[in-house]
Amino acid sequence: MREASDAVGSAAVNVGDILIGLGVVLLVLAMLGRLAARMGIPSVPLYLIGGLFLGRGGPFPVDAGDEFLSVGAEIGIVILLLLLGLEYSPQDLRDGMRSTWLAGLVDGLLNGLPGFAAGLILGWNWTASILLAGVTYISSSGIIARLIHDLGRIANRETPIILSLLVMEDIVMAVFLPIVAVLVIGASFTQGALAIAIALGAVTLAFAVAFRLGDRVSRAIHSHSNELLILTILGITFLVAGIADAVQVSAAVGAFLLGLTLSGRVADDVRMLLPPFRDVFGGFFFVFFGMQVEPSTLPAVLIPALALAVIGVGTKMATGRFAAARAGLGKKAQRRTAYTLVPRGEFSIIIASLGVTAGVESQLGPLAAAYVLILAVAGPLLMRLTDPKRSRLA
Amino acid sequence: MFETKLPGIGVRYEFMTETRDRVGVVVRRDGRRDVAIYDRTDPDACRGTIELSRGDASRLAELLGGTTITERVDELRHTVEGLAIEWVTMPKKKGLTNKTIADGKIRTATSASVVAVIRGEHAVPGPGPNFEFMAGDVVLVMGDADSVKAAAAILTGA
Repeated sequence: MREASDAVGSAAVNVGDILIGLGVVLLVLAMLGRLAARMGIPSVPLYLIGGLFLGRGGPFPVDAGDEFLSVGAEIGIVILLLLLGLEYSPQDLRDGMRSTWLAGLVDGLLNGLPGFAAGLILGWNWTASILLAGVTYISSSGIIARLIHDLGRIANRETPIILSLLVMEDIVMAVFLPIVAVLVIGASFTQGALAIAIALGAVTLAFAVAFRLGDRVSRAIHSHSNELLILTILGITFLVAGIADAVQVSAAVGAFLLGLTLSGRVADDVRMLLPPFRDVFGGFFFVFFGMQVEPSTLPAVLIPALALAVIGVGTKMATGRFAAARAGLGKKAQRRTAYTLVPRGEFSIIIASLGVTAGVESQLGPLAAAYVLILAVAGPLLMRLTDPKRSRLA
Repeated sequence: MFETKLPGIGVRYEFMTETRDRVGVVVRRDGRRDVAIYDRTDPDACRGTIELSRGDASRLAELLGGTTITERVDELRHTVEGLAIEWVTMPKKKGLTNKTIADGKIRTATSASVVAVIRGEHAVPGPGPNFEFMAGDVVLVMGDADSVKAAAAILTGA
């Protein structure tokens, strides 16, 4: 992705300083992660707050070599999106498309439109408003999967409904991300149309490859040596992401599409090996995003963020009720579905970051950060409210 | 026995015990199992779940005197992408109950295969064309998704 516009271009880089800065950032992440676990909330909002504190204009600015951190953050977003794309198999995606398209459509309209409208009301351009629609639309599959597990709801009858909605959101992202990736670089109409055609062609090709050659690809990549496996996987990932960036589809989007296409054994391999990398570099990504938001810009977006959060709770709950009722579930299960879909998290930040790095709208970063901070914390709390037996917070 | 896919997690199987409790087992992608007992007042929720590691699960299976068929089937599903597997319980009268596999022409009509039949305590692996189904048999059908669905329809007469 393009260099962060504000990266410091210092010539003489002091390795010691960078290492100290990185050490501080990682330790802060570790502390925040522990705190999040103890409070029973996801770590993403705390990482963002950490970034706010450590960034420019924050109380404890850290110099981890902005350039280094921005590269780390870029690796983070690539790995995050690769794993997000991998979460569901191509088969899941196909089944989801067949069975949940209506609920998926309701989900998209109800939750995307408020963000889009808010963008226009705030006087943003179309591109920024479309990005904000993505931010308000997408639920956090990471937070939701974690909570379903922690609350022992894995066998509940509403769980497949919730998961298939998340699958639909994944499918929507496969089309949405390439389009916004093109929009944010502010291409002219013909350039934009061409780039979107290329992007959608890439998506179609990716799915075709996934269905036709998935097995063969898996067999070619798989190795019994973890060392060879990780080198191959990271190599392919960065190569694909880099090429995607070169044709202006954005590295993150390339990684996501790659994740969607990998299946079978190689998908299991990646899911087993990459999470530690995701935890480190994904942590950098969230902190870096937080660091780019100057705390002084937050008060101005607080009211719109709160309003969007309230609407976002309402629209996701309506979506959940609709989907659960359509599947014939009881009142209580409808309520659980409704609350469970509320959390927004990593994906919203990723969408916003596409706009932030391209400098689309200065308020997008702060607004997305505030929005996710509110809903990543409020979502899980609401979810526990529907579970009287386990009101414990950890 | 019902089978529901849980995208991103694995597969959930559920059945009703003779004492009318609903029991669910989630087989996760990574081999862990969750056993759940559904709530009688809110059948969509669980009264409790226990999470079992691979080792725990085989220990429990041993105690319950079960076979490890599902585990092996699961491994197979992993090796062959797109393979669909369904457990079909034979109905009281309709379908192929009291008829043979050959009567149903499952293989020729749908290209799915009946790989095993579980009758009460024991399993019949690879039943021949003259195998006669009985009400309550649990039939294991394999093939691609569409043909398995068609085969299940022939078996149950639905």
